[in-house]
Amino acid sequence: MMINPVLLIAIPLGLAFIAVVFKKLQGWILAIGVAANAFLVFFVEKGETAIGGFKLPFAISLVLDDFSFIGVILVNVLTLAAVAVAFRKTEKYVPVILAGLAGLNGMVLTGDMFNLFVFMEITAISAYILSSEGRKPEQSFNYLVIGSIGSVLYLLGLILIYGQTGTLNMSLMAEKSALIGQAAMVLPLVLIFAGIAVEAKLLPMSGWVRGVLGNSNALTGVMFASVYSSAALMVFGRVFSQVLIPGTTAGVIIIVIALLTFAAGQVSAFRSKSLRQVLLYSSIAQSGLAAALFATGFVFPAVLVIINNAAGKMIMFSTAGNLEEKYGTDDYVGLGGAFVRNMPAGVAFTIAALSLTGLPLVFGFYAKLNVLAAYLNQGTFFVPAVVLAGTIIEGAYFIRILIKLWAPGKEGEWADADQSVGEKKIFNPAGTVVVILVTLLIILSGFLPDSVGKLVAPGGGLLGDEGPSISLTMEKGGDQ
Amino acid sequence: MIKFASLLLIIIGLYGILSTRNVIKILVGINVMEIGINVFIIAMGFVNDGAAPILSVDNPVNVLKFVDPVAQALVLTSIVIGLGITALGLVFARKIHKKYGTYDLSETGGES
Amino acid sequence: MKKIFAGLLAVAFGIVLLIGISLNTGLFGYNDSLPEDGAASHYISKDVNGKTDEVVFGETTGAETGSANMVTSVIANYRSFDTLGEVTVLFLAALGVSLLAGTMDKGRKRSGSGFILRTSARILFPLMLVTGIYIFTHGHLTPGGGFPGGSMIASSFLLLYLADESFRANVKGFKVAEGLAGTLYVAIGIVGLLAAGYFLVNFLPTGTVGNLLSAGIIPVVYVIIGLKVGSEITGIVADMFNEEVKA
Repeated sequence: MMINPVLLIAIPLGLAFIAVVFKKLQGWILAIGVAANAFLVFFVEKGETAIGGFKLPFAISLVLDDFSFIGVILVNVLTLAAVAVAFRKTEKYVPVILAGLAGLNGMVLTGDMFNLFVFMEITAISAYILSSEGRKPEQSFNYLVIGSIGSVLYLLGLILIYGQTGTLNMSLMAEKSALIGQAAMVLPLVLIFAGIAVEAKLLPMSGWVRGVLGNSNALTGVMFASVYSSAALMVFGRVFSQVLIPGTTAGVIIIVIALLTFAAGQVSAFRSKSLRQVLLYSSIAQSGLAAALFATGFVFPAVLVIINNAAGKMIMFSTAGNLEEKYGTDDYVGLGGAFVRNMPAGVAFTIAALSLTGLPLVFGFYAKLNVLAAYLNQGTFFVPAVVLAGTIIEGAYFIRILIKLWAPGKEGEWADADQSVGEKKIFNPAGTVVVILVTLLIILSGFLPDSVGKLVAPGGGLLGDEGPSISLTMEKGGDQ
Repeated sequence: MIKFASLLLIIIGLYGILSTRNVIKILVGINVMEIGINVFIIAMGFVNDGAAPILSVDNPVNVLKFVDPVAQALVLTSIVIGLGITALGLVFARKIHKKYGTYDLSETGGES
Repeated sequence: MKKIFAGLLAVAFGIVLLIGISLNTGLFGYNDSLPEDGAASHYISKDVNGKTDEVVFGETTGAETGSANMVTSVIANYRSFDTLGEVTVLFLAALGVSLLAGTMDKGRKRSGSGFILRTSARILFPLMLVTGIYIFTHGHLTPGGGFPGGSMIASSFLLLYLADESFRANVKGFKVAEGLAGTLYVAIGIVGLLAAGYFLVNFLPTGTVGNLLSAGIIPVVYVIIGLKVGSEITGIVADMFNEEVKA
C-alpha cells in the first residue's frame, strides 16, 4: 500500500492545528503524530508527485528518490527517538514540534526552490521557539537575527536565478541553469549557500550555535544537533549536487569555507571545557565535512557522515542534557565519574564517541574510511590530511571526556567515592530503551558495513556518485 | 533604478543590524532588509508596458502584456513571513528586557 | 569602532552585490516581456494542464482556475502548498508569542482615554471589520485577498485595544478559531487527495470568470485564510497587551 508523500507533511501539520484546539490531549496527539510519521515513512510512493493537480514543471512537486528517502527516514525516526527520550519536556511545545516535523519533511522532500524556502522558514521558526526554552533569551534573539539575514540572502539568490531561468522547479532549474554563463551564476550560488548555511551550521553563519546548543536541554539539543542538522545537510546536498552545480570559482569558495568550518570546529571543541560546548563544536565540524564532500561531488561518503553524526549526536546530546539537568553542571571536570554511576548512558555515550571519531568496529569507521578513500582515489592529498588531523583532535577531546566521566581519579584510576558524583538515573525507561537500540545499531552496522553500504549507495549513486569507494570485505583493501 | 534602490535598502538594513547593540534597532534593521528584498523581487518581475495581472473590464482578455504574477505571489509570502519573524523578535526583546532590564545587548553578559 | 567595522562590512557586501547583479540581470532596466515557456506566462494564459483558448473577463466558463485575479490564482491554486506553509509560519509565530508573552507578568495599566476616542473607535470598528471581510471574500476579483483582509480585521481589534482601556479580547476564542481554520485548510487538501488524487486540487466547478461565485475552492480557501490570519494577528496583538497570563 503506497501512500502519497504529501501525507508525511499534511499529517503532522493537521495534528499541530488540532493540538491547539484540544489542549488536554496534546501528549497523545504528539505521540500519535510522531509515531505515525515514523511508521508511514516506509510506505511512501517513490517518484515525483505533483501537488494541486497540475502538470509537472509548473506545479509544486515532492520528489522522493533514493536520496530524499534516506533524509526522510532520518528525520522522522530521529524525531520519534528524540520525543521518546525526552517526552516530559515536550509539554508546552507540542504544536511547535509537530509543525517543525512537517517543515523538516517538506524541506527534504520538496522539488521546488521557493517551496524549499517556505519550509526552511517553518523549520527555522519552530527552531527559534524551541531554543527559547533555555534561560538565555538573547541567544534565541541572536539566532533569529542570523536566520533572518540568511533567509533574505537566499531569496535574493533565488530571484536572480528565477529571473534568468523563468522557473522555480528544481529539475527544470538544473537544466536551464547549466546553460547560463559561469559569471552570472557565481553570486546567486553564493547567496543561496549563505541562506542554507545558517541551518547547516557552516562557518560565516554559525554564530548562533554556541549560544543555542550550549544552553539546550535533552529535547532541544537532540532536535537541533541531530534532526534539524541532518535535514539541513540533506537539503544542502540536494541543492548543490543536483540543482545548482557549482562551477570552479563558486565551488572552490564553498569547499574552502566548509573545510575551514571543519577545522575551526575541531579546534574549538578541543578548547572547550563544557560538555555541551564540545558536542556543539563537534557538530559544526561534522557539518563542515559533509558540506565539503557534497560540494566536491562525493555524495555517498557525505550521506554516511550525516547518518553517523545524527545517530551519535542523538545519544550524546540527550545524555549531556540529562546530565546537566540532574547534576546541575556542564563542566566535565565537575561531572567526574558520572558514567560509572549510570552504566547504560555511559556505554552508549562511549560507543557514540568512538563512532564519531571513526575508530574500528563501529559505523563511524566505515564512514571515515569512505571519506578518505574518495579523496585519495581522486588524487588529492591535502583534504585527507586535513580530515585526518581533525580526526586526531577529535579523538583527543573525546577521550579526555571519557576518561573524566569514567575514571576521574589520578591518571586513569577508578575514582573514590568522594571524587565522583552521586548516583542518579539519567534516562527514563523509554529513553534507555531508545538509546540502547541506537547504540546497538551503531555497533551492528560497524560489523556489517557492506549491508549498510548497499542500502545507502542508491542514494549516493543517484546524484552522480559511484557509490562506495571502499568495501571492507573485498580484497580492495590495498587502496589506502 | 528601483532595483538599485532596493539593493541600497538591503545594504542599509544590513548596516543597521551589524552596527548597533540595541535590540529594537536590530529588529528595525531586519525589517528594512526585508522591505528591500521584497521591492527587489517585484522589480525583477516588472515588464515594460505591462498591466497589473487582473482581468477586469479594462483588461478583459489575458493575451495582453501583464507583469509577472509569480513575483508578486513570492512577495506576499515573504511579507507574511517577515511579519511572523518581527512578532517573534519583539517578544524575545521583551523577554530580554524582563531578564536584564535593558534593551542593550552589550549589557547582557555576552555569550553563554 | 563597531560602527566603522559594520560600515565597512556593509559597503564591501554592497560592492559584491552590485558587481554580481550587474553580471546577472543588470541593475537598471526591466524585462521587455516574460520568457515564453516560463512558469509565469503559463499561469497567465491558464494553460498549465493543456492548451486552452484565451480567457475573457465575464464570458469564459470553466477556465483552469477561474480566477480573474492572476496573483490569486497563483497563490491559492497553482502554488497553494506555499500558502499552506506561509499560514503555518504565521501560526507558529502566534504560538511563540503566546508561549513567551504568557509567562510575563501582567502589563502596566493602560492609560484612560476620552469619551470621543472611545465612541468613534466603536463606530469605526464595524466599518473596518466589514471592509476586511469584503476584501478577503473578493480576493479572486480584486487585488487583496486573505492576508490584507485578515490584517484589516486585526487592525480593527487593535483600534479597540488602543482606544478603550477596559477592552479585553477573548483570546481563547481566537485560538480555537485559528486552530479550526488551519485544520479546515489541511482537510480541504486531503479531500482533494481522496477525491481526485492530488493534494489541494481544485475540485469545485470554476464558473464564469469575474463572478463572485467562481474559481472553485479559491474563495473558500481565501475566507479560511482571512479568518485565520485575522485571528492570529489579533491573538498576537492581544498577547502583547499581556492578556494571556497562562497559555
